[in-house]
Amino acid sequence: MRNLLILATSLLLAACGGGGGSDAPSPPAGPPPPPPLAVTKAEAYQLLNQATFGATEAEADRVIALGIEGWIDDQLAKPPSRHLPYVQAQELPEFIGQLNAERLSIWFDRAVHADDQLRQRVAFALSEIMVVSQVGVLNAYPYALAGYYDVLAVNAFGNYRDLIEDVTLHPAMGIYLSMLGNEKPNPVLNIRPDENYARELMQLFSIGLVELRPDGTVVTDLDGVPVPTYDQSIIEGFAHVFTGWTFTGARSFRQARPTRLNQVLPMELYPDFHDTGSKKLLNGIVLAPDQPGEQDLADALDNIFAHDNVGPFIAVRLIQRLVTSNPSPWYVARVASVFDDNGMGERGDLGAVVKAILMDPEARPDMPMEIDGKLKEPLLRLTQLWRAYDAEAANGKYLLYPSFFLGQGPLQSPSVFNFFSPFYAPPGEIRNSSLVAPELEIATEFQNTMVTNFFFFQVFGLNSASTDLDEDDIYIDLDEEIALAADIDALIDRVDEKLLAGQMSDPLREQMVNMLGRLGPDDTVLRAAEAVYLTVTSPEYAYQR
Amino acid sequence: MTKMNRRDFLRASSAMAAASFAATPGLTFAQVAGGPGPFTDYKALVCVFLFGGNDSFNMLVPRSVAEHDVYAASRQNLAIARDDLLTITPATPDGTDYGLHPAMTAMRDLFNEDRVSFVTNVGPLIEPVTKETFFNGSATLPPQLFSHNDQQDQWNSLRGNIPSKTGWAGRMADLVQSAVANQQMPTNSSLFGTNLLQSADETVAYVMGPGGPVPFQGFSLDETSLLYQQRLAFLEILGAEHGSVYERAFADVQRRAITTADTITAAIDNAPDLTTVFPAGPLATQLETVAKLIAVRDDLGMQRQVFFVATGGFDSHDNQNEDQPGLLGGVSESITAFFRATEELGVADQVTTFTQSDFGRTLTSNGDGTDHAWGGNQLVVGGAVKGGDLYGSYPLLEIGGDDDVGGGRMIPTISADQYAATLARWFGIPDADLDIVAPHIDNFAVRDLGFMV
Repeated sequence: MRNLLILATSLLLAACGGGGGSDAPSPPAGPPPPPPLAVTKAEAYQLLNQATFGATEAEADRVIALGIEGWIDDQLAKPPSRHLPYVQAQELPEFIGQLNAERLSIWFDRAVHADDQLRQRVAFALSEIMVVSQVGVLNAYPYALAGYYDVLAVNAFGNYRDLIEDVTLHPAMGIYLSMLGNEKPNPVLNIRPDENYARELMQLFSIGLVELRPDGTVVTDLDGVPVPTYDQSIIEGFAHVFTGWTFTGARSFRQARPTRLNQVLPMELYPDFHDTGSKKLLNGIVLAPDQPGEQDLADALDNIFAHDNVGPFIAVRLIQRLVTSNPSPWYVARVASVFDDNGMGERGDLGAVVKAILMDPEARPDMPMEIDGKLKEPLLRLTQLWRAYDAEAANGKYLLYPSFFLGQGPLQSPSVFNFFSPFYAPPGEIRNSSLVAPELEIATEFQNTMVTNFFFFQVFGLNSASTDLDEDDIYIDLDEEIALAADIDALIDRVDEKLLAGQMSDPLREQMVNMLGRLGPDDTVLRAAEAVYLTVTSPEYAYQR
Repeated sequence: MTKMNRRDFLRASSAMAAASFAATPGLTFAQVAGGPGPFTDYKALVCVFLFGGNDSFNMLVPRSVAEHDVYAASRQNLAIARDDLLTITPATPDGTDYGLHPAMTAMRDLFNEDRVSFVTNVGPLIEPVTKETFFNGSATLPPQLFSHNDQQDQWNSLRGNIPSKTGWAGRMADLVQSAVANQQMPTNSSLFGTNLLQSADETVAYVMGPGGPVPFQGFSLDETSLLYQQRLAFLEILGAEHGSVYERAFADVQRRAITTADTITAAIDNAPDLTTVFPAGPLATQLETVAKLIAVRDDLGMQRQVFFVATGGFDSHDNQNEDQPGLLGGVSESITAFFRATEELGVADQVTTFTQSDFGRTLTSNGDGTDHAWGGNQLVVGGAVKGGDLYGSYPLLEIGGDDDVGGGRMIPTISADQYAATLARWFGIPDADLDIVAPHIDNFAVRDLGFMV
């Protein structure tokens, strides 16, 4: 039934000339376009939970004022709020790795307060696709990590080709996937180029392992086996391309050492260490020998960028991070076609892709289906609470190591494969229906308990009525709820409006009425906290519609 | 013939399940396959997964002059000097002497006590592969060789080219379901997150923390407490109807977390203190928790358990010479301490620890590290292991040699199916059901590698 509905929608769009790429509609002459349809609060919340670090009533008012498309356009025009300058301005701690606490602090600060919410949310999505991580060697490179995040934010609405070049040449990525310092072969010593970056760039950041149709479905051979996009010889070709690069400004290639400055500047080519042979790339392209290393790199990234897989691959990854775990092939095809051509002949326009993802009828359904939406990541469940309840600490910082409590944190993935796989299917109806739910991979019994306990401490222990708060305790503002708490229904309504746009389910409300009734009317703080706690630990809050 | 029917049934039942959102309670594996009878004893398998791809040709190294010369010529600056190797003397000589990485003294001692054996050059295979069949395209190969997640999946699922959502330990748990009816926690439990190895059609693995289950701070089992009401309210909220598949899946996990944590925490609180000292580190922490859980096996009615523990950092593209001693030393000392703990608990013969890892690594260097390859060496530890020996044929570590498909990537000569089937048989899986656990076992001449008693 769902498929029929989507099919009908896509046919309707096709008839209107929407979703296509080549036939850009000419501006309508005559009557002005009708005003945008009124947006309900629930619709605004749905958009904001897809496009920001959590819906708030204030931001919902802006969506209602501007309309869905108006709000998106407004966001697309906002300049990036950066992380690196803040980290660079901090005093050096005893151990450089401790500076990551400030990196995380500014990340949370931006998530809670920044105006460029959509850009920051897309940067976060990209950080889960083009992964580098503090876990490991990069712990000692907090500037590189903050700078890398800014690169993602700056390029979030730019062109994908620029993004992969900036990612490729960033020292954080160079260190993480060992392209930095990668040398041309030395056959006498059986030394060949490092294949790490070549492999993961193709597998995880751009085209994936198997050939895709424009709608993201997998191409198979006559035996039903997926057709690989590349083989070992192509990985070796790219590995040879990525030789000769290390920190910029070094006296020599092998003596290059990290500094505060060079770890945030693009890597530099040292031609003596770049392989000069020919290099086998994708789609039968072979680079001629003796090209300058910069030319090899540009040609190799062009070669990946031109691959037909990039559109559907990136479309699926971004849709899954922003809107739904299980986009229909039609949704993927519509977004991929915008990647292929933004309507003005440009390939790889990520701003247009993000807009297409958020404006798609599947992201804004009239009749939601039970496979629409996704589970919110623990980090996003936290930031939504913090945004809705103005979380802050007396010292103005957000000093929290989220991985311990939430099983994830910004640039803290356990490996380049992110916290969870795009293909993860939990046992039960989701797997049996051939669906996926990536975020469920870290929603284990253990991690859910940790998150629930964290919310317990946050809501009951660190709120605006808490006494003896330390200056670095991040507390939420429950004053409004506390003032209402004598009236159970009024209290629940207020929490419902702030966190769930007034859509709280009857069973949740019923249990809440019951629990709040066990607390006396004078226990206003406990009542307020209980109402928020039961809401933020509920399945309906964990679900992004 | 009966096997074919069973496979057909399974295929049909999963197709039927896919056709409908409603969870249809089907027949269990055990009911269809017969499965083993009720167990009267206790056995546990402990999978130690070394994430990233352990460079295991530096873990177990040829020590004879000629073979070591070939090894050293291939590995160059990554080779371990012959004199630095820890001498071991396998019970079954193959004409070559071997040694262990110098950081593995604890494992060397265990080898000398016949408590550990190595399975050599093992990796994911669908059928036997030679260099000739690899290059002429006639061999059926596992998909996406040399890719981390795909080869992890191959080790865990053993499903070759068939996309699989179940793992071989998960399928074992399904097979033994009716034989372990009184267990108060699932056969499979993980101390390192969700994993494909333990994923199953019928049973669900329980995921705890590295130190065991974490209690819910906001709940109490004291019926006079408000936090008791809180727990009931939670369960009511979780049990309500939810409109999306995501909420339902989330609620399922949350419900399991609440109910199972109580049971296990209560049992573990009664566990005796172990005198065995575990080293520091995440792997040792997990293994110490496993030892505590094994100590309370009777309180929980456990008869068959598979534990998943893991540690990372083995993807040594860089700084291999600096990092390898710590990595292999940690494995050696953590697993040895765990074995001592099982001795202390009197269950050394009932607990078998084995390693898995994404792949072996290239014999050639990329300057200061290695890249993704294929076959490698694994270790198996326990009182039920025929210890102090090597199983399989150790390849000549020669670039361009008979086993090398390029850059020093060794074609496995033993399949992960054979490795798993050998462990599964010890675990109590009947021979007739081994192909459910290890689907390609019939493609290999030997169904049991012989390293278990």
